[in-house]
Amino acid sequence: MARSIQSDRVASDPNILTAHQLRKAYRSQGKEMVAVREVSLSLAKGEILAFLGPNGAGKTTSIKMIAGLIRPDQGWVRICDRDPHRQPAALKLVGAVLEGNRNVYWRYTPAENLEYFGILRGMSGQAARKRGAELLEQFQLSHKRQTLVQSLSRGMQQKLAIAVALMHSPALLLLDEPTLGLDVEATEDVKRLIREIVHQGCAILLTTHQLAIAEELSDRVAIINNGEIVTEATTADLIRQFSGSAYLVETEHSIPAERVRKLHLLGVDLQTERSLHVTDVQVLYQVLAILNPMPIVQIQKDQANLTDVFLKLVRGAQA
Amino acid sequence: MIEIFWAELKRQWIQQRRFAIDSIAGIVGLAIIFYGLFLTTQYLAGPTTQFGTRLDSIVVGYVLWTMVSFIIGDIAGGLQQEASTGTLEQIFLSPFPVAQIFLLRELARLTVTLTQMVAILVLLMVLTGRMLTFSPALILPLISVIIGAFGLALTIGSLSLLIKEVRQILSLLPFVLFVTILVPVETWGMPARLVGWLLPMTPGAGILRDLMARNQGLDWGLLAIAFLNGGLYFAIGWLLFQQAERVAKHRGRLGGY
Ligand SMILES: Nc1ncnc2c1ncn2[C@@H]1O[C@H](COP(=O)(O)OP(=O)(O)OP(=O)(O)O)[C@@H](O)[C@H]1O
Ligand SMILES: [Mg+2]
Repeated sequence: MARSIQSDRVASDPNILTAHQLRKAYRSQGKEMVAVREVSLSLAKGEILAFLGPNGAGKTTSIKMIAGLIRPDQGWVRICDRDPHRQPAALKLVGAVLEGNRNVYWRYTPAENLEYFGILRGMSGQAARKRGAELLEQFQLSHKRQTLVQSLSRGMQQKLAIAVALMHSPALLLLDEPTLGLDVEATEDVKRLIREIVHQGCAILLTTHQLAIAEELSDRVAIINNGEIVTEATTADLIRQFSGSAYLVETEHSIPAERVRKLHLLGVDLQTERSLHVTDVQVLYQVLAILNPMPIVQIQKDQANLTDVFLKLVRGAQA
Repeated sequence: MIEIFWAELKRQWIQQRRFAIDSIAGIVGLAIIFYGLFLTTQYLAGPTTQFGTRLDSIVVGYVLWTMVSFIIGDIAGGLQQEASTGTLEQIFLSPFPVAQIFLLRELARLTVTLTQMVAILVLLMVLTGRMLTFSPALILPLISVIIGAFGLALTIGSLSLLIKEVRQILSLLPFVLFVTILVPVETWGMPARLVGWLLPMTPGAGILRDLMARNQGLDWGLLAIAFLNGGLYFAIGWLLFQQAERVAKHRGRLGGY
């Protein structure tokens, strides 16, 4: 009875991905090293989760546990209610581009790679050729369809790897450092594609060390350090939480000495000759009254970015 | 499953065409070897004479030997190479068993190689006027040997998932094959002969010798033993591979780590 209630609850799980309390320890030279501990993640349709953390934090290990490539010591993974470690059919719901790997065959063309991997994921030859042609179009690789992968640029290879992972239209796409080693243009390209893919309803889990990319793309952020998740929140909340309530005011010309004195009486000191920091909205208007009618260049609220948040959290954990 | 086999066959065909110079070199090499066999059968004293000294027998012995070494070397070598380039993990993301994919890949490769061999032999027969005759009965023991070879290939393949250096093991292979395929176990006395039946691929190879070198008819009882033997080694290989897969996933070592 209890069991059926639980399975009912699991069956109505709206998430594409649920990873529960994953733990993995590696044994090397007789010593045990815990790479991932109690990592839980969830991801809904059309959502991008940026999975961030310093080198060796356990991101790749977690991603491979989700993809069924590494068996967790504890915890479980469900992809649309299926267990990739027990039900091979669950793999039809996942596509992955793994870090530092080739992911595709270099001695074959993009079209051949797409067709072959489509069939390996359970598609018919005909369906695979059709879908392959569509993806080549969407990924702007059609003109290179007959070029060997080994002579494509790094960016094109990476785009192809993503296309291959999407052949069987998976519900979940895992991208481990998809923009590693790409130039500016290729990075923009990959970012555009990621947005398109998510728009089509795929859920994406991505890791990256380029925090600006994570900030731009992600709906939510999970930060992992030493194998443990230290924060998980929506990207906007996280940035708001770490942003101060201070304002920066900048004038066009340097502020005359007499006004500087008045500002000083308010407890506000200049940062440069033309700019000052105000920590409080109340004071902001008094400051503006003093400055009136000097031309103002900008008033800006202090905005943290993901890099500030990341560094604070990761350094905080080390202290 | 048939879709995967066709896909693998297509990939073989693409490779043959794309790397045409390598393919042609391979075919020419094969043709030279066969031509040599055609010319020198009378004086031949190599290991393959175990299958009889008639030209047909020598050719069958050679084909069997090369196929078995290909099967066993290719699967372990392929696994190792794909682990180091990084495509192996993509194969493991397939909902099909990885062992099945590699077996179908090897079957496609064998199909191509066998087609080439047959084409060369037909050409040589036309050119030299010497005719080869093969009894269709040869097919059955041959299949039993190939099934056993697939089993051994999976066994060594499972080692290659766990140990990153299987080259040493592979270098022992010709010796092992020599014992299992070329030693005439069927001529041994009774208790030793039982042991011979348990060796991989040995009963099937023995039947081939009976058929070709000794001109005996097909012994169905022995054939049943040969298929049991092949099936047993295949099952062992398959199970070991599943086990190795599990251990590699536990250690996190599927990729090139
Ligand atoms: N197969 C393995 N055997 C032993 N240790 C491993 C194995 N794989 C990873 N590790 C170790 O586990 C820890 C986590 O590694 P992981 O690759 O998951 O980190 P990561 O967050 O992906 O790092 P990076 O940003 O550098 O890619 C590291 O200390 C790594 O050395
Ligand atoms: Mg990593």
